[in-house]
Amino acid sequence: MKGYWDIFSKGLVLENPIFVLALSLCPALAVTTSVVNALTMGLTVTFVISMNNLIVSIVRNWVNPKVRVPIYITSIATIVTVAELLLQAFAPLLYKQLGIYLSLVVVFAIILARAEVFASKNRPFPSFIDGFGMGCGFTLAMLIVGVIRELFGNGTILGYTVLGSWYPPALIFIMAPGAFILIGYLVGAWNIWSARIEKAKGERGETI
Amino acid sequence: MTAEHNDNNNSIIKIALNLAFACIISGIIIGLVYYFTADIAKQKQLELQNLALQSIVQGADKYTPIPGKPGCYTATKGNEIIAYIIPAESKGYAGPVKLLVAVTPDNKVIKYTIIESKETPGLGDKAAQPQFADQFAGRTADELQVNKDGGTIQAISGATITSRAVTKAVKNAVDVAASITKGGK
Repeated sequence: MKGYWDIFSKGLVLENPIFVLALSLCPALAVTTSVVNALTMGLTVTFVISMNNLIVSIVRNWVNPKVRVPIYITSIATIVTVAELLLQAFAPLLYKQLGIYLSLVVVFAIILARAEVFASKNRPFPSFIDGFGMGCGFTLAMLIVGVIRELFGNGTILGYTVLGSWYPPALIFIMAPGAFILIGYLVGAWNIWSARIEKAKGERGETI
Repeated sequence: MTAEHNDNNNSIIKIALNLAFACIISGIIIGLVYYFTADIAKQKQLELQNLALQSIVQGADKYTPIPGKPGCYTATKGNEIIAYIIPAESKGYAGPVKLLVAVTPDNKVIKYTIIESKETPGLGDKAAQPQFADQFAGRTADELQVNKDGGTIQAISGATITSRAVTKAVKNAVDVAASITKGGK
C-alpha cells in the first residue's frame, strides 16, 4: 500500500505539475482568474490524465515505440471528445461553462508527459494512481493560484464577498501580469517547502 | 532490443498499421458515443434555448422564430406582440460578447442577457450585473452610447471596452428590431 501512496503523493508536492515540473503553466495563468474556473479545470484534467494513463498502460505492449506519441495523443483526444459528447448530452450547462478549456486539455503537456514517463512503463493500476496523483497536484496548484487571485483581485472567493467594500481590489491579480508574478513567488515558496521535506526525510534515513 | 526484433517491428507497414489501428478504434468509439448522444444533446440544446427565451421575456406564451432572421424570435401573449428577441454580438475585451436582447414593438430595450463572454472576472463580467444592465431598460437606439462617447450609459469603471461592446451590441439589436417592425407594417 505504501508504494501506491508514494506514487500518488509525489504528484502533490515533490513533483507537483505546476510548481515543480513547470508543465501546463499556460492554462494555470489563463484559467485561474476565479476559483470556480480553476477547480473545474483541475477536475477535468484529473479525469483525463487518470483515464489516459490507464488506457496507455493497458495498451503499452501493443503500441509500436516509433508511433507512441501520436497514439498517446489519439488516446487523449478520444477521451476528451467522448467526455465532451457526454457532457453535451447530459450536462449542457456544465459543458457551456467548460467550453474552450475542454478542447484545450488535449494538448496539455502534463498529460502526454505522464503517459510517456510513467504509464508506458508501468502496470495499469499504478499508472492510474500516478495520473490521479498528478491530477490532484495540478488541481491543488490551480486552487492555490485561483484562491489568491480571486481574493486579492476581486475580494471574493467562489463568488462570495470575503473582503468587504473597504477593500479596493488589486486588479493586477486578475490580469495576466499578476498571474506571472504570483506564480513566480509560489514556485519559490514551493521550493523552500519541498527542500524541507526532503531534508526531513534524509535525516530520518529514508531514501527519496 | 535485438536486431531481428528491430527488423520485425520497425518495417514501415507495421508502424503504419499500428497507428492506423489505434485511430480506427478511437474513431469507432467516438462514432458510437456520438450515435447515442446526438439526439439527446440536440434536445437539451433546445430546452436550454427556450429557458433563455423565457428568462428574458416574462409572461409571453409563445415564441415564434422570425422568418429570414436566424435566431430572432417574436414573443406573443395572446394575439399581441409583446417583444422581439434579437441575438447580438460584438467584440469585447477578451473575445466576442454574445447577447440576447429583448426589444419592445416600439423599439425600446426591455433587457438583455449575456449568453457568452470571456470578459475579465471582476471587471468586464460586471456587465451582466443589474447595476449596469438595468440602465438599458426603456432606452431607444439614439440614447445607446457610453457616457464617455456622449451617451447615457454609465460605463463600468475599468471596463470601458466591455461597456462599449455591450452597448453597441444592444444598439445593433434595436436596429434589427426596427427593421423588422418596419418590414411588418
